[in-house]
Amino acid sequence: MAAGGPSVFLLMVNGQVESAQFPEFDNLYCKYCFVYGQDWAPTAGLEEGISQITSKSRDACQALVWNFPIDITFKSTNPFGWPQIVLSVYGPDVFGNDVVRGYGAVHVPFSPGRHKRTIPMFVPESTSKLQKFTSWFMGRRPEYTDPKVVAQGEGREVVPHRASPSVRTSHSMAAGLPAEHVKGPSPV
Amino acid sequence: MNPREEKVKIITEEFIENDEDANVGKRKKNSKVQRQLRKKQPPTTGPDKMVSEESHPGNQQEPAQDEPQTRLLSVTARRGPCSLPPIPSASRTGFAEFSMRERMREKLQAARSKAESALLQEIPTPRPRRLRSPPVKELETEFGTESGKEVGSTQQEDDFQSYSRVKFHVSARKIKSKPQVPPGFPSAEEAYNFFTFTFDPEPEEAGEKLKHQDGTDQEEEEGEEEPPAQEGANRMDEEELLHGKDAEDFLLGLDHTADEFLAVRRADYESAHVRLQREKEMLFIPSRLTVPTYKKLPENVQPRFLEDEGLYIGERPEVARTNQNIMENRLLMQEPVRWFGDDGRILALPNPIKPFPSRPPVLTQEQSIKAELETLYKKAVNYVHRSQHMIGSGDPSGNFQLDIDISGLIFTHHPCFSREHVLAAKLAQLYDQYLARHQRNKAKFLTDKLQALRNAVQTGLNPEKPHQSLDMIQKTINEYKSEIRQTRKLRDAEQERDRTLLKTIIKVWKEMKSLREFQRFTNTPLKLVLRKEKVDQKADEEAYEAEIQAEISELLEEHTEEYEQKMEEYRTSYQQWKAWKKAQRAKKKKKKQATEEHPEEETEEPYAEEDPVKPTPPEPTDRAVIEQQVRERAARSRRRPGEPTLLPELSLAGSVTPNDQCPRAEVWRREDVKRRSVHLKVLFNNKQVCRTASRQLGTDFRVHFGQIFNLQIFNWPESLTLQIYETVGHSSSILLAEVFLPIPETTVVTGRAPIEEVEFSSNQHATLDHEGVGSGVPFSFEADGSNQLILMTSGKVSHSVAWAIGENGIPLIPPLSQQNIGFRSALKRADAISSIGTSGVTDMKKLAKWAAESKLDPNDPNNAPLMQLISVATSGESYVPDFFRLEQLQQEFNFVSEEELNRSKRFRLLHLRSQHVPEFRNYKQIPVYDREIMEKVFQDYEKRLQDRNVIETKDHIDTHRAVVAKYLQQVRESVINRFLIAKQHFLLADLVVEEEVPNISILGLNLFKLAEQKRPLRPRRKGRKKVTAQNLSDGDIKLLVNIIRAYDLPVRKPTASKSQQPSRSSRTFREKHAASPDTRSPTHSADYPLGQVLVRPFVEVSFQRTICHTTTAEGPNPSWNEELELPFRAPNGDYSTASLQSVKDVVFINIFDEVLYDVLEDDRERGNGIHTRIERHWLGCVKIPFSTIYFQARIDGTFKIDTPPVLLGYSKEQNMIIERDFDSVRSLSEGSYITLFITIEPQLVPGESVREKFDSQEDEKLLQATEKFQAECALKFPKRQCLTTVIDISGKTVFITRYLKPLNPPQELLNVYPNNPQATAELVARYVSLIPFLPDTVSFAGLCDLWSTSDQFLDLLAGDEEEHAVLLCNYFLFLGKKAWLVMGNAIPEGPTAYVVTWEKSHYLIWNPCSGHFYGQFDTFCPLKNVGCLIGPDNIWFNIQQYDSPLRINFDITKPKLWKSFFSRSLPYPGLSSVQPEELIYQHTDKAVAAELQDSRIEKILKEKIMDWRPRHLTRWNRYCTSTLRHFLPLLESSQGEDVEDDHRAELLKQLGDYRFSGFPLHMPYSEMKPLIDAVYSTGVHNIDVPNVEFALAVYIHPYPKNVLSVWIYVASLIRNR
Repeated sequence: MAAGGPSVFLLMVNGQVESAQFPEFDNLYCKYCFVYGQDWAPTAGLEEGISQITSKSRDACQALVWNFPIDITFKSTNPFGWPQIVLSVYGPDVFGNDVVRGYGAVHVPFSPGRHKRTIPMFVPESTSKLQKFTSWFMGRRPEYTDPKVVAQGEGREVVPHRASPSVRTSHSMAAGLPAEHVKGPSPV
Repeated sequence: MNPREEKVKIITEEFIENDEDANVGKRKKNSKVQRQLRKKQPPTTGPDKMVSEESHPGNQQEPAQDEPQTRLLSVTARRGPCSLPPIPSASRTGFAEFSMRERMREKLQAARSKAESALLQEIPTPRPRRLRSPPVKELETEFGTESGKEVGSTQQEDDFQSYSRVKFHVSARKIKSKPQVPPGFPSAEEAYNFFTFTFDPEPEEAGEKLKHQDGTDQEEEEGEEEPPAQEGANRMDEEELLHGKDAEDFLLGLDHTADEFLAVRRADYESAHVRLQREKEMLFIPSRLTVPTYKKLPENVQPRFLEDEGLYIGERPEVARTNQNIMENRLLMQEPVRWFGDDGRILALPNPIKPFPSRPPVLTQEQSIKAELETLYKKAVNYVHRSQHMIGSGDPSGNFQLDIDISGLIFTHHPCFSREHVLAAKLAQLYDQYLARHQRNKAKFLTDKLQALRNAVQTGLNPEKPHQSLDMIQKTINEYKSEIRQTRKLRDAEQERDRTLLKTIIKVWKEMKSLREFQRFTNTPLKLVLRKEKVDQKADEEAYEAEIQAEISELLEEHTEEYEQKMEEYRTSYQQWKAWKKAQRAKKKKKKQATEEHPEEETEEPYAEEDPVKPTPPEPTDRAVIEQQVRERAARSRRRPGEPTLLPELSLAGSVTPNDQCPRAEVWRREDVKRRSVHLKVLFNNKQVCRTASRQLGTDFRVHFGQIFNLQIFNWPESLTLQIYETVGHSSSILLAEVFLPIPETTVVTGRAPIEEVEFSSNQHATLDHEGVGSGVPFSFEADGSNQLILMTSGKVSHSVAWAIGENGIPLIPPLSQQNIGFRSALKRADAISSIGTSGVTDMKKLAKWAAESKLDPNDPNNAPLMQLISVATSGESYVPDFFRLEQLQQEFNFVSEEELNRSKRFRLLHLRSQHVPEFRNYKQIPVYDREIMEKVFQDYEKRLQDRNVIETKDHIDTHRAVVAKYLQQVRESVINRFLIAKQHFLLADLVVEEEVPNISILGLNLFKLAEQKRPLRPRRKGRKKVTAQNLSDGDIKLLVNIIRAYDLPVRKPTASKSQQPSRSSRTFREKHAASPDTRSPTHSADYPLGQVLVRPFVEVSFQRTICHTTTAEGPNPSWNEELELPFRAPNGDYSTASLQSVKDVVFINIFDEVLYDVLEDDRERGNGIHTRIERHWLGCVKIPFSTIYFQARIDGTFKIDTPPVLLGYSKEQNMIIERDFDSVRSLSEGSYITLFITIEPQLVPGESVREKFDSQEDEKLLQATEKFQAECALKFPKRQCLTTVIDISGKTVFITRYLKPLNPPQELLNVYPNNPQATAELVARYVSLIPFLPDTVSFAGLCDLWSTSDQFLDLLAGDEEEHAVLLCNYFLFLGKKAWLVMGNAIPEGPTAYVVTWEKSHYLIWNPCSGHFYGQFDTFCPLKNVGCLIGPDNIWFNIQQYDSPLRINFDITKPKLWKSFFSRSLPYPGLSSVQPEELIYQHTDKAVAAELQDSRIEKILKEKIMDWRPRHLTRWNRYCTSTLRHFLPLLESSQGEDVEDDHRAELLKQLGDYRFSGFPLHMPYSEMKPLIDAVYSTGVHNIDVPNVEFALAVYIHPYPKNVLSVWIYVASLIRNR
C-alpha cells in the first residue's frame, strides 16, 4: 500500500476495436468512450477516441477493420460501476451526411487475459414514419444526446416506448472491441 | 335499332344457321355488340371479360369509365342507365318474330322424330360451346347499358341509387306477367320440346325472350307513354338480376320457364309426420342424454378406474357434458368399443393446453409482417447445450459415451402365434422357470439344512458339553427346533412347487403333442425329453421312510409340547372357573339374604359378572393321525420312493412341417409372419438417437439384431427408451411397445455389462384371418371354445447398456458430481418449490395443505418430487420448522454478521450514497478500507439528523425563526421526496436528439431557407443549443457576466476637513481632467481635491467565492464593456436539474471606487518612484440569485444599484444636474444604475414543471373553465403569463382569486401617518418588503410554485414574489385602494408578481419585494411585461398588442383590451377566500431584538471581520461605533432618505481627523448568513492600511410579527496625518 494515499486498485485495459460487420454500410468510423461508476477514475490513457474511417474489406466477410487501439488505466476503490466501453459507429448516408449507424456497450472484461467481445449494435428509431422519412431525407437521424446513455439503465425505457418499436439490432452488429488485455484488480 | 329487335334478329339468325361461328362473325361486325356479349357472360368469367374488354383498342368507352368498371368487376358497368335508343319499328319486329316461329316449328318437327324419348329424359348437358351461347339473350340488355354509357355517363351515380328500386319494380312485373301466355305462341309442350333439344340455345334464353316479348307486348299496349329508355333500363336490370346474384338465379329463371310449359299440378304435400318418419330412417340425431357405462364397454366388463388404482391419468380437456354425451352417442352408433377406455369414457389425451402462452409476444407495430419475415444474419455457432443438463460445459473431455447393445428380441406372444406357438411359448417359459429353479435347487438346500439342524439337535442333547448350563442347552435346542419346523415347512413348499412345475411342464407338453397330432403338422421345433434317472429302490425307500419317521417324531414332539401347554392353560383356567363357581355359590346364598333386605339390588347382580365358560380339556394327539397327515403331504409333494427322478430337457431338435404339407390357413400364417419385420428405436432423453435395422420376424418369433450403438452424449441421461416397431409388408410401422432401460451405474462399463432381458408387452389388439391366434382377442384350445384365453403381444428384448471406455482406458462416464446436478436440475425443472425444498427449510405443513387444497394429483409424474417432499415432511420424520425462509442460503453467504456490517463505515457510506442522501449523493471514490474513512465524513450528516429534532438557536437568534426554519426544512424535504420520483422519468427528448415533426410552417421556413444566402452579410443571431443537465461535470458550466456601463454613480467628496467649497470653475476644470484621467490623477494626493477625478469605479463580481473584476474606468458614468467569466460548480457535483434548481448562490455585482493614495513619505523621492496605495470603497451592489439566471437563461438590462442611503465620502453630483440639463431624467431616477448582461454558458435547460395533476377541491366546472381560459390565452399570446390556478402549500389546486382579500396591516403602521394615505402605503410596502425573500424554486426544487396564504406567509416569514405581492395587494385593498396583482415578467426576477394600484389619476406599480413603487411610465420600472391582472373577483388577461406597462392601458373595464375570466357567460360564483378573516399581529419583543442586535449580530460580524483579516490587526474605533449607532435609528425612521448631509456633518464634527469611508446596510432579517455575506461583499475588510480602524454598528428595528429591519453600519477610518 502506498504510504499516505488511499488504497485503490488499478485496472489496465488495452486492446483494440478490431472490426465491425455492417453489411449495409461502408466508410464507417467509430468512437469509443468509457462509462464508469462514481468510485472510478481514469489515471492514464485516453478516455475517448475517434477512429479513422475505414472501408469494407473486399473479401466475403466484408468486415470493416479499424484495429483502433485502446489503452486506459483506471483506479478504483469499488468494483461497483465497473467500466463499460461505449462504442458508437458513424458513417455517411446516401447524401453524404454523417449519421449514426450503431450504438453498443459492453463491460470491460472482469478477468485478466485476452478477451474478444462482439457487441451488438442498435440505433434509436424515429418516432413516426414521417419523421423517419424526413430524418432520412435531411440526414438528421435520431441520436442519443449522449452515447453514454446506452451504458446506463436510467431513462432507457422511454426509448423503446416512444422511439423504435424495438431497438433493432437489424443494423446488425459490429464485431468490435476484441482483444482487450486486462490487468486484473491488484491493490496498490 | 331497338335492342329488342336486334336480339330477336340475332336469335333468328342463329336458328337458321345453327352455327355459332357465323353468329360470332356476325357479332364481330359490331365490335360493341361483341364486347357487350363477353361482358355479359356469367360472373365466373369475370377476369376474362375484363381482359377482352381491355384488349379492344377500338373501344369507344373512355378509359375513365373503364376504370371503375374494372374495379367493381363489371357490376357498375351493367348498372348503366338507359337512354333513348332508336325508335323501334314495330312491323319489323313482328316479321322477325313470325319468321322465327316458323322456322322453329320446322326444326322441331324434324328433331322430335329423332330423339324425342331420349331428350325428354336427358337433362341438357352444357357443352363447351354452349358457354358462349347465353350472351345472346343478353345482347339487348347490353345495348341498354351501352347506350346508357354513351349518353349519360354522368347519370351513372344516380342510377346507382335508383337501380334497386327499378329492380324491384321489374321483378314485380315479371311475376305478374309470367302466367300470361300470349296468343300465337307455341303450346307449352311444343315449347318444352323445343327448349330441351340439345342443339337449341339454352331454355332460359327462350324464356328470356318470351319474357321480353311479354314486355314488348305490354309496352306496346301501354303505348308510347312509357319511355323506351325506362324499358331498356328494366331489361338491363333484369339481366342484372340474373348476373348480379349468381347462377342460382339463373337456374331459377330456368325453372320459371319450365313451369310455364309444364302442366301445373298441385304441390306434393308430404305431411310432417311422414317426413319425420323418413328422416328417422335416414338421420340419426344423437341424444344428449348420458350414455350408460355398460354400453360403452365390452360386455360383462366392469368399468375400471385407473385413477383409483393409483395410476396417473392426465387431466382431460374441458368438454361440455352435453357435447360429450352427443359425441359418445355418435360414436356408439358407429364403432362402439374402440373409442372408449376402460373407465367407459372417451379416450382422451391429457389436456395439452398450457396455462401460459409459450409463444413470444408478437410485436404489434406497423412493420409487423415485413419485419417478421426479414432475414437476419446470424453467425453459425456451436450447438449450445440445452439448459443445465449439460455435462461438463466447455470441458474438452465432456464427450461421454454410452454403448447400447441390442442383441435381439423374442416374442413371448405375437398375433401370428399359432396355437402350437402359444403352447410352445408357455412350455419354454415353464422350462426356463424349471431351469432357474433347478439351478438354485432350493429344495435340496433346505433338505440339507434340515438335516444339519437335526444333527445339531441330536448333538445338543448329548450331555457331553458340561460347560454349558442346562438352561442354555435347552434354549438352543428350542431354537433349533423352531428352526427345524420353519425349514421343514419351507422345504415342503419348495418341493411341492418343484413337483407341480414339473407336472405342468409335462401337461403342457402333452397338450402340445396332442395339438400337433390334431392339426397334423408341427410349427415349432420344440421337443421335450424326460430323462428318467434310475434310483436305488431300496435305499430310496429307506430314506423316504426315515424321513417320514423323523418328521413324524418331530411333529409328535411338537404336538406333545403343545398339548402340555394347553393342558397347563386348561388347568389354570379350570381353577379359575372353579373358584368362580364357588364364589357364585356363596353369592347366591348371600343374595337370598340380601333380597329380603334389598330386593331392588337383585337385578343388578347378573350384570356385574360374566360366567366364565367351563374350560374343556385339550385332546391328546394321536400318532396315527399325524402319520397320516405326514404321509399324505409327502405323497403330494415328494417323489414316491422308487419312482425314477424325472429330468425334463427341452430341445429344438424337432422338425417343423414344411409349408406344402400344411393346411392353407397355416401357410397363410407363415407367410404373414414372413412379411413382418421388426425394428427398434433408441430414444435418449425422449429424443430418438438411433434405430436398428429392420429385421424379419423369424418363424420362431425371434429377431436377432446384434447391433451396438455408441451414443456420444452431452446431456445427462435422464431416460433411455427402446421403442419396438413392427412393420407388416410395406405398410407403415406400428409402435408395439416401449421399454424403458435403466441408466447403467457408473461402474458398468463396456465388456463388463451382462446381457439383460427386458420384458415388454403391448396392448395391441389384432385379429388375423389365418391360423394366428391374434393378440388381445380370446381364443381357446378346446374344440368347444371353452376355457378362453386372451393373450397380449409380449416379448423380451435382450440388451446391454454400458459406459464406453475411452482410448486410454478411462471410462467415458460423466463425473459423479454432475449426476447430482443432473438430478437437482431435473428436480428443479419439475417444480420450483422442490428446488427450494429438501435442503432448504420450507413450511411443509403449508405446502402439504396447499397441495391438498389445490388437489394436486399425487400420481402425476410431474408432481412426484413435490409429493415425495410432502410425504417426507408430513410423516414427521424430519424436523419441520414453522417458518418459511425465502433465501435459505442467505445464512451461508453472510460472511459477516449484521452488526459488524452496520458498524462498517464503508458499507454505511455506500448505503447512504445509494440512498441519495444529499451529503453523499456525489461522493466519489469511497475508500476501500474502513480505516481510511474519516469520522468527520459523517459529522455533517449526523449533525443534520440531530438538528432535525433539536431546535438550534445559534444561527437563528430568536426561537420563532428557528421553528420556522425547521418547519420550512421539513416542508422542503417532504416536497422534494414527493417530486423525486416524478423527476426520475425521462422523456424521449432527454435521451434522443430527433428532428421535430415538420409542420407546414417549419417546412415553409426550410424551403425559404434554401433560397437564403449561405453567408449573409449581416448574420442573424442564432439560438444557442440547449444542454440537458445530466451529462455535465465540474468546469463545464460558466457564468458569463457582461458589465456594460453604469450611470450616475456617486462621486467622491473632497475631504470635508479642508472644507473647500468647490467653485464652478474648479468643477469645469476637474471635468476637463476627467476626460484624460490617466495622465495626472494618480499623482495627486488627497490634499488636492481639484486634481482628483470624481470617481474611478470598477465592478467586482463574486459568485461562489470566485471573484472577478473589471478594469477601472473613470467618472460617474463609466463604460466598461467587459465580459467576466466565472466558473460554476453545482453543489456536490450534482448537475441534475433538481440540484441546479436548488442552488442558492447569489451573484454579487459590487461597484467599487478605486482610490489611490500616495504613500510616499519623502518628497525627495518623488521623482524616482511611485508609491501609492490602492484603496477601494464600496459604492453599491446588485444581487442576482443564480436561480433567476438559471430560469431566465439570460438577464439583460439596466438595474438599479442598491446603494446605501448614506455613503460617507461620496455624494451624488447634485450640483451638476442642472448644468447638464438632465432634469427630466434625473428627476425620475434617483440612484445609480448599471447595465448588465448575464448568461450561463452553455445554456441549460431549465427543468420543466412537474407533469402532474394535483387534486383539487375546486368545482370541476371551474377547473375546466380555467383550462379552457388558459388554452385560449396561450393560443393568442403564448408568451404572456396567465395564471388561473395555483397550488397551495398542501399541494392542492386553488383558484387564484381566493388569495385576494382585504387584510389588515399592523395597526401601528397605520398609526404612523394617519392622514397621509400615500405615506401609509409606502410604509406598508416597506413592511412587506422586510419579510425575507425566499424563492420557491429554491425551497421546492420540484419546480412547482407553491402559494401560501398571507397568514402562513407571515408565520413562515419567508416567501417569494407571489406571497409578497399577495400580502401587499391585500393590504392595499384594506386601505381602500384599487389594487390588482400583476403577473408578468420583470428584471431581474423573470416571471413574477407585482402590484398595481390606481391612485386617482395614475397607476402605480409596486415591487413587493423591495417596497419600491414606480409610475406607469417610469422607464426604470423593472416590470417589463404584463400578462394578466388578478383582482379579488376576476382575472383579466392582457389582449393588447403590447405588454410593456409603458404602452398598455390598465383600464380593465375595456373588454377589447382585457379578456376577463368571469364574464356574463360565466358569472363569478362568489368564491370564498382562502385567507383568514383577519391577521393578528403580535408585538415583537423589543428586548429580544435588542439582544439580537448587540450581542449576536454585532458580535458575530465583528468576529467575522477579524476572521477575514487574518494577517492584520483589526482595531475597532469605539467612539465611532457609538456615533454610528446613534445614526441608525434615524435612518430607520426616515427610511434611509434625506439624512445624508446632517449625518456627514455630525460625523465630521466628531471625527474630524479621520479619513472616513463607510455606509449603512439595510436588510430584512432572516438568518445570519445573508448578513455576513452582505458585509463580506462590500469588502470593507479588504483595507490593509496599517493604521486603519473599523467601526461597526447594528440596529434592529422590530416590526410586528417578528419582522425585523436590520441596519448595519460599517465604516473604516484612517487617521489623517
